[in-house]
Amino acid sequence: MIELDVTTDRGIAVVVPRGRLNMVAARQLRQVLADIITGGTSRIVVDLAETTFLDSSGLGALIGGLKSARQAGGDLRIARPTPEVMTVFTLTNMDKVLRPRDDVGSAFDV
Amino acid sequence: MHDDHIGAPAEQRRQRAVDSLHDALHGDNDRLDRITRLARSVFGVAATSVTVLDHDRAWFPSESGLGIAEMPRSQTLCDTAQAGDETLVVEDARADPRFRHLAPVADGSLVFYAGRPLHDHLGNVVGTFCLFDGAARTLDAEQRRTFDDLAAWAEQELVASSEMGQARQVQTSLFPSQPLESGPWSVDGMCLPALAVGGDCYDFGLGGGVLHVGVGDVMGKGTSAALLGAGARAAIRATHGAVTAGADLGVIATQVARSLTPDLERSESFLTVFEAAVDLEDGWTRWVDAGSGLAAQVSADGTITYLTGDDRPFGVLPDDHWTEHTTTLEPGDRLVVISDGVLDLVEDQALVWEDLAVATRAAATPADLLAEVRRWAEVRPPLDDVTVLAVFRAADTGPDVEDSA
Repeated sequence: MIELDVTTDRGIAVVVPRGRLNMVAARQLRQVLADIITGGTSRIVVDLAETTFLDSSGLGALIGGLKSARQAGGDLRIARPTPEVMTVFTLTNMDKVLRPRDDVGSAFDV
Repeated sequence: MHDDHIGAPAEQRRQRAVDSLHDALHGDNDRLDRITRLARSVFGVAATSVTVLDHDRAWFPSESGLGIAEMPRSQTLCDTAQAGDETLVVEDARADPRFRHLAPVADGSLVFYAGRPLHDHLGNVVGTFCLFDGAARTLDAEQRRTFDDLAAWAEQELVASSEMGQARQVQTSLFPSQPLESGPWSVDGMCLPALAVGGDCYDFGLGGGVLHVGVGDVMGKGTSAALLGAGARAAIRATHGAVTAGADLGVIATQVARSLTPDLERSESFLTVFEAAVDLEDGWTRWVDAGSGLAAQVSADGTITYLTGDDRPFGVLPDDHWTEHTTTLEPGDRLVVISDGVLDLVEDQALVWEDLAVATRAAATPADLLAEVRRWAEVRPPLDDVTVLAVFRAADTGPDVEDSA
């Protein structure tokens, strides 16, 4: 089972999925991201440092969150993916849309 | 008295319903086994079963404590329960003139019986959910309710497994039914869904000397992915004429993506695609990669050339574009396209193409390669749909290069 920690600081929500982001966990992540955006925060960083596995459903949840965040005038950025998780982004050429950031705190600086 | 004996129209209809369950119920039935096991422990009876009456035999897609796979239909109480289409509780079969002559009753092994008919989604009785014991028993009102609940659960599982079994057959029938052979070229593919149906699809076809192949993977797995996959396959197949006539694959992919994106966005999904058009005359190959990243050309000496572009999957950004790339499949070259489920089958995902290249070079035909990947899937049951498509071009062995008489 995945743990999804959410903290909000100065208008930026940080989501930390801990564990495997598979089909079941992706549904949870989708819901968490939707709740954050409907709650009025549209700038989101997903910290992937502790995400050990990401399949296409997990990627779908991130893309869904990215679209909703942009529609709400914000953005979704990812930070610190492990090399394994990074392969999923590069394989699907999603690394240009979801460009990984090295650091959570500065993910929205540029 | 009832007229539901073998050969009557109602029995024929019932038998047809049973026939359609067959494929779904042969093999492991874990979900039914859970229910028969639970019922045996809840009621403390010697045995429980889901019984299917099939022509003149009764067989047990799931049983707990019976230890047999089938018995003659004429020796069962289930036959009576199914014909009456209502719950039958026999507290002491030895004292019941309808049953005391049956072999299991006469030999003392079956005394108590409770059976509730199970219906398919059209209302046909296709089986019974049964309790058996070697001593006389009763079921009080509360136990009757529990028995009904467990039977209703078994019924749901039975219907679900038959519907999914049929869905799987339909999906399988959408894939090319046989390998394609043309001169030195041979093409074959396979798809092993992780669940009954899946979101992977592949297709190949020939038109005007041009081979058109494609592999698609809808996000996720299971029924929702399969529905979107069927739509995507139809959209791509509709471009077959244009692709084999020489239309730019990037333009075609962009058009297909435009038509699929609203569906994909509504269902919050996306689709990766690899598509290629190979001129069988000279091996000139045009290809497009929509976020698949899992295609490679393996040459005769084992060199791997990755056919991966920079374009994204369908359904991610509404105004995306796709670009055609080119390569040449020389004599002896092999084109292999996989879905990401294959990554689950190897020890080290980063080395998947090393493993695949070895398997590809060792294979005499595309079918050999598919069989090898199927073996991998048996060793490590996949968590995701597994698809492989292979195009082999034989090395030149024409009469012009043979120098021996």
